[in-house]
Amino acid sequence: MIEIRNLKVKMKSLEFIFEDFRFEKNKVTVISGRNGAGKTTLLRVFASFLDYEGSLKINANVTYNSQEPVIFNRTAYCNIAYPLKVRKLDISLYHDKIIEYAKLLDIEHLLENNALKLSSGEKMKVSIIRSIIFNPDIVLLDEPTTHLDLESINELTQLIKKLKNKITFIIVSHNKSFVDDLKDVEYKVGGKNVLS
Amino acid sequence: MILESIIEAFKLLISFDSEIYSIIFLSLTISILATLTASVIGTFLGILISISDFKLKRFTKKVVFTLMGIPPVVLGLIVLLLITGPFDGMNLLFTKSAMYIAQTLLVLPIIIGNIIITSEKTQKKVLETATTLGASKIDKIFLLIIETKPFIFMSIILGFSRALSEVGAVMLVGGNIKGDTRVMTTYIALNNSMGEYSMSIAMGFILLSIAFLLHTLLARFRGDFYD
Repeated sequence: MIEIRNLKVKMKSLEFIFEDFRFEKNKVTVISGRNGAGKTTLLRVFASFLDYEGSLKINANVTYNSQEPVIFNRTAYCNIAYPLKVRKLDISLYHDKIIEYAKLLDIEHLLENNALKLSSGEKMKVSIIRSIIFNPDIVLLDEPTTHLDLESINELTQLIKKLKNKITFIIVSHNKSFVDDLKDVEYKVGGKNVLS
Repeated sequence: MILESIIEAFKLLISFDSEIYSIIFLSLTISILATLTASVIGTFLGILISISDFKLKRFTKKVVFTLMGIPPVVLGLIVLLLITGPFDGMNLLFTKSAMYIAQTLLVLPIIIGNIIITSEKTQKKVLETATTLGASKIDKIFLLIIETKPFIFMSIILGFSRALSEVGAVMLVGGNIKGDTRVMTTYIALNNSMGEYSMSIAMGFILLSIAFLLHTLLARFRGDFYD
């Protein structure tokens, strides 16, 4: 699905070096490493937001969910339906699925509220459902548990487990129990050079 | 002096002098039309520039930001040279159309520039998210228009204030013809040059009152947007 070889990313005075790796289909891969090791950088490279050197092969549809949920000024339902709308998919066909995921993450009662007025955790849930609603091949989740309480983390774990046979998840998270509960494969990052 | 001017302004307004009302009406009409035209073109261009990657992007932005501060009299001179040169056959000199063109060109970079700044600084993550969700360029333009609505509105009001208050360009291309192309600012300039300070200040007071009303409305709308 995703294969990296001799991958290097320059960010201001730093150069991140990533070991060769192949991210397998329908597995939950957790990217681990210390703060500043380049975990988010790698996800952003996969999402085509950053330039890189080396070889990166992606033969799949990738969606990136950032650490801070980016919410549009409209209802939670319309936020979730946004990718369906821009992909010219029939939203009514996905209605039940939206309700199902919203129920799973306990935000069904908030679907008609303006998403900008939701709490950070609720925004994160809206953002995650929006990332998966159109069945992308790969979902990149960057610290998805940051704003979530314990119960919500469990709900998210259940959702990912439910979908992992259809969607490949690549996750960056410092939440050990969440990661341990989900990971099939772990990829460690940490190589970097300080550029003069 | 100020008190006298305020009294004079009220006298002007309640005198129902058709010339005064036609001057106010013309000022507002040309400024509104120019701002509307510049808003439609400027919003689209501003967002298009901010979401596009092209070779001369940095240069284009520098040109836009420079034009945001162009002295109206310089712009008026450029328009004057154009309408008396390549476009001489259109008989635009000393017409309301020439004033409308000059004001539109004056407001356009203000709207484009403000929208570029807003879009690039605050909406980078919105664009990234939209991209990753599969949005096309047109989808992103519409999304940005919706997401930056308060800032677009603010840019339009700034542009309108600029159009309403400028004097140099409309004076040059409109000619300040009584009963035809005379607007509030050129009326003030003319009375000032004739030593009729109280009339100038009175019209200035009316102009300021309109600007104050406008910004009161802006504050109200901005409050609604951010609520």
